[in-house]
Amino acid sequence: MSKIMPVDILSSIKGAKSSEAVDQLFDVIRNAEINQNSSNQNAKNAMSIDDLRADVVENSSEITKQIIRENFPKEKDGYLVVSKVIEG
Amino acid sequence: MSEIKRIHQDLVAKKYTCTAFVQEKLDLLKENKYNSVNTVLEELALEAAAKVDAKIANGEEIGLLEGIPFGIKDVYMVQGTYTSASSDLLKNYKSAYTATAIQKLLDAGAIPMAKENCDSFGHGSSSENTVFGSVKNAIDTSLVAGGSSGGSAVNVAADYTVFSIGGDTGGSIRQPAGYNKIYGLKPTYGRVSRFGLMAYASSTDTVGPLAKSIEDVAIVMNVISGKDGKDQTSIVSEEINAEVVASKPEGIKVGYFKNFIENDAIDPTIKADFLATIEKIKTAGYEVQELDFFDADTLVSTYYTLAMAETASNLSRLDGTNYGDRIEGKNLKETYMVTRSENFTEETKRRIVGGNQVLSQGFSDAIYLKGQELRKEIEAAFEADFNNVDIILSPVTPGPVPKIGEVLSNPHAMYLSDAYTVGFSLGQLPTLTCPFGTETGIQVTGAKNKEQTILQFANFLNQVQ
Repeated sequence: MSKIMPVDILSSIKGAKSSEAVDQLFDVIRNAEINQNSSNQNAKNAMSIDDLRADVVENSSEITKQIIRENFPKEKDGYLVVSKVIEG
Repeated sequence: MSEIKRIHQDLVAKKYTCTAFVQEKLDLLKENKYNSVNTVLEELALEAAAKVDAKIANGEEIGLLEGIPFGIKDVYMVQGTYTSASSDLLKNYKSAYTATAIQKLLDAGAIPMAKENCDSFGHGSSSENTVFGSVKNAIDTSLVAGGSSGGSAVNVAADYTVFSIGGDTGGSIRQPAGYNKIYGLKPTYGRVSRFGLMAYASSTDTVGPLAKSIEDVAIVMNVISGKDGKDQTSIVSEEINAEVVASKPEGIKVGYFKNFIENDAIDPTIKADFLATIEKIKTAGYEVQELDFFDADTLVSTYYTLAMAETASNLSRLDGTNYGDRIEGKNLKETYMVTRSENFTEETKRRIVGGNQVLSQGFSDAIYLKGQELRKEIEAAFEADFNNVDIILSPVTPGPVPKIGEVLSNPHAMYLSDAYTVGFSLGQLPTLTCPFGTETGIQVTGAKNKEQTILQFANFLNQVQ
């Protein structure tokens, strides 16, 4: 499982290559000095479990459903056409 | 003077009808020479205006925001309206629901006027990265509007809207506010719900107002703030007190980052103007401290590393399967690839690719996780600074407003131009751009949840200018 995937596949973008402008930013991080005393910040940015939203199913309104259908990229004979996920 | 209060008084005094007022603004938005709008919401606006007129005609009281026209950056969901993120991929996408912040404004009776042009998915600092044409600066049309909330800033500056709701991930409200000489607030992360905001980088995305006065910024903030069950990172906050904001700040200690000012990258005029403002503050009797901070390269690189990783994840769902303009290929993978290659702009693709690069094997430890560590250090440094001072001042940008065409051609320079805004985003701190102090404005930053303090200090700064 150690196969390295190229960025065009990872990004699903044809012919994608890394950019020099972005690589310059990464080099700064690669060469930066890290102070080891900052890891106590983790707890401050964590969210309390009490704040989690209840996992309930809510029915969408008719207008919401209608717009979702309108947005679907393809429709044929009253059915929404999905991409062929399983290749033959 | 608050524009919101002035218009409210006019409407109550029946100087003009809300419908006539809104129609006048709609006409301006449609004619506009700045490319500041993607969709004019004429039907919605006139319908809402008619309701306000009916209430006034019936002798009913109206709220402060009832009948006030506002703009919406085209990354917010408003049910039934196109929400394109200024991209080809979502050009024909209609929101199925309404963002919490926008819903609160609609419930308060404010009038939605337009979905505003911006950098595609918030990816940019000039509002040129858009499929609707570059947004032009409201003061000088040969210059950029700033970004990514460029259309929002221009509409406020040109009086097409009374306020607009922008989005700020690394400076996207503050920088265009400065470029168009208006106020723009990036609130504390979580103070305003992100539900219904199209995500760019979820850990720094914020929702905030652009307006012509501090009073109007406070009025809008008090309506849109609050904890929201639909955004689990949202927080409880206290109302901003207008009387406190209008009063003279007492016992406030001010700081500024010496290394932002003492370096070769800053424009000499911006440096001189900023230091002149610092002198005025000292003359007014406030203690001012010079602070040490991270260099601009580290701030910009940390921000972009994390923001690109987050945007690569957030935009991975946009593949034309459930929504978006699908382009069929010879198989599923090809369909995804062609759809994304053809429908994302070059800058958006650059950021997605960069994000996937840092998240991939071999890079994630050396860059992404190290970037996270650096962010923690930056946050810790802010905490330490705010134990010593109450306010940190900084210029908005190191350089003057660029000409149209100069920014997108040099992405690295574009990233570096965000040097003074991205740090406060990583710290999740409230920061207001004021339209004075330097050519591109001055930023007033406070500790988390200190919006009232920064607005109060900005009000004082406005008086001593």
